[in-house]
Order: sequence, then structure tokens, then C-alpha cells
Amino acid sequence: MGSLQEAWAAILSHPLFWVGMTLAAYQFGLALYERTKLAVFHPVLVSTPVLVLLIWLAGEDYAHYRDAVSPLLVLLGPATVALAIPLYLNLRRIRSFFWPVVVCLLVGGAFATLMAILLAWLLGAEPMIMMTLAPKSVTSPIAMLVAEQIGGVAALAAVFVMFTGVLGAIFGPWLLRICGVDHPAAWGMAMGMTAHAVGTSRALEEGEEAGAFAALSMSLMGMATALLLPLAVSLWTML
Amino acid sequence: MLLRGMTWLIFFQLLGTGLNVLLLPILPGPIIGMVLMVAYLCLRGEVSESISLAAGGLLKYLPLILVPPAVGIMAYGAEIAADATAILLTLAISLAISLPFCGWLMQRMILRQQGRDDS
Repeated sequence: MGSLQEAWAAILSHPLFWVGMTLAAYQFGLALYERTKLAVFHPVLVSTPVLVLLIWLAGEDYAHYRDAVSPLLVLLGPATVALAIPLYLNLRRIRSFFWPVVVCLLVGGAFATLMAILLAWLLGAEPMIMMTLAPKSVTSPIAMLVAEQIGGVAALAAVFVMFTGVLGAIFGPWLLRICGVDHPAAWGMAMGMTAHAVGTSRALEEGEEAGAFAALSMSLMGMATALLLPLAVSLWTML
Repeated sequence: MLLRGMTWLIFFQLLGTGLNVLLLPILPGPIIGMVLMVAYLCLRGEVSESISLAAGGLLKYLPLILVPPAVGIMAYGAEIAADATAILLTLAISLAISLPFCGWLMQRMILRQQGRDDS
């Protein structure tokens, strides 16, 4: 018969231990979010510090955790490909406002991205942080890939993106009201483009048209950033 | 059904990975896979039930899939602490300006288009 300590060590070193902890922490975050309906309690933002604390208490490092949860990590690629389906379905909605959407996407998207880089540079951030902040308006799986591609860090991008989404969902409606934006399509477009999925779920509460345009602009902004930002950065570094 | 949709998603992801190495090193593999998937759906003109089932299931749990990479933030404590003010200010200011700007621009473009349609 083994001791209690040996049993505990066996549990800790089981290949499924950290997968289980991740599932538990996520459901804790989800329950908190559904109970309160507050954007600050976004499940990713709640479960991340919980897991960081658990890993620290267990005396492990991130590399160990990442290896242990690789069954979850490997799904990120197919999930990114799966973003093509809502994008395709939303594309069919674009017809009525084709030019407004295209102009707003290119001008507004370039403006938002350039401003993030410029502000970070003015405030004296490291180049690594600057490149991680650049894709902060797009949905996490795309932002993580793009950040890594242009010299940033995927993990930080995921957190910056969540933070931006939460800020957008909380202050977006108020900012849009004081700027006199009341057309539902424009309202949704702004929320989806700058606050991705978190902004889109807030726009859905506002109405069907706002929600549809938020979903559309989130998909398009993700696609445009994924295609244009790495291109722009590699042109810039060539100069 | 679910398995067939999942197979398509993985197929496009692998195709993207191959093309990334072969032709397009500046675009990440899954992004190329996503673009190809959109092109494929446009050609087909519809989303098959198996693909929509697999994609719906994966996207429903997307936040959970995003937790492990987000935990990676723990390896960058020093970098965040060094630039904390710059990061927070950049995120807050750029959102406060670009969100209303996008809404204002879209609203102006819509009103302009409607004005032209009326005249």
C-alpha cells in the first residue's frame, strides 16, 4: 500500500490532470459569467489567472502545462479554419451596404491598427509588445497567429484581445451614443470591428441588424488583418 | 457526420500548412486554410451539414481552446511589468478613438449611399 503522498503525486503527474484543471477552471469562469452577465467575467479572463495560480502552486512551469494540455491546443488550427463558415454565411449579407462596409473596413481597420502601433511606440513599448498590440482588435485565434508571425507573442496577444473586447463591450455603447452613432448597421460594424466576439455578443443584445453587422465586420476584420498586416510589416522591414 | 466535417477542417488546415512552407511563408498555415475554406464554400454555394456541424461544435468551445495559450502569459511577467502602463494606455486609448470612428465612418457612408439612392 502506498502512502497518501504517493497517491497525490500520482494524481498530479497523470496526463489528464491539467486537462481536467483547465476544464474545471473554464466552467468556473463560464458559470460566473452566466450568473453575472458582466463582460469583465469573460470565461477566458477568469480561468487564465486561476490556472496561472494553480500551476504556480503545483510548482510547475508553463512549458510543462503546455505539453500536458496539447490535446486541447491542437484543436486551435481546425477552429481557425472553422471561422470560414460564419464568414461565408455573413458575406451573403453584405450586398445592401457593399461599399460602406468595404470602405469602413479598410479605412477604419487600418486606422485602428496603425493607431495601436503608434501609441505603443510613443509610450515607449518594446518592439515585441508593439507587434503584439497591433492585431488586438481581431478574434483571438487570428490575432495569436498574426502576432507570432510579425514578431509578437501569441499568449500576450490572446490576453490583449480579451481585454480589448471587454473594454469595448463595457464602454462601446456609451462611446457610440456620445458620438451620435445610432444606425444599427453602423453600431454593429463598430462593435464587431474593434471588439470582435465580445463586442458582437453585446451587439446581438442591441438587435438583430446590429448583431449581424457585428458578426460580419468581426469576420472581415479578422480576414483582412490576417492577410494584410503580415504583408504590411514585411514590406516595412524590407524598406 | 461530425467526423466527416472534422476531416474537411483538418484537411484544409493541413493544406494551409503545406502551402505556408511551400509558397507563402508570411501567412500562417491555419489562416491559409481558412481562406481556402471560404473559397471552397463560395464555389459550392452552400455549407454542407457535416461541415457546419463540426465547425459549430468547435466554435462553441473556442473560448475553452483559447485558455491554454492565454495561460502562456505567465511566462512573460517581466515583459508585461516593464511595459504595463504603455500596454494599458494603448489598449484603452486606441479603443476609445477607433470604436466611435468606425461607427461614425460607417454611418456617414450609409447616409451618403441612401442620399444617392434617393436622388
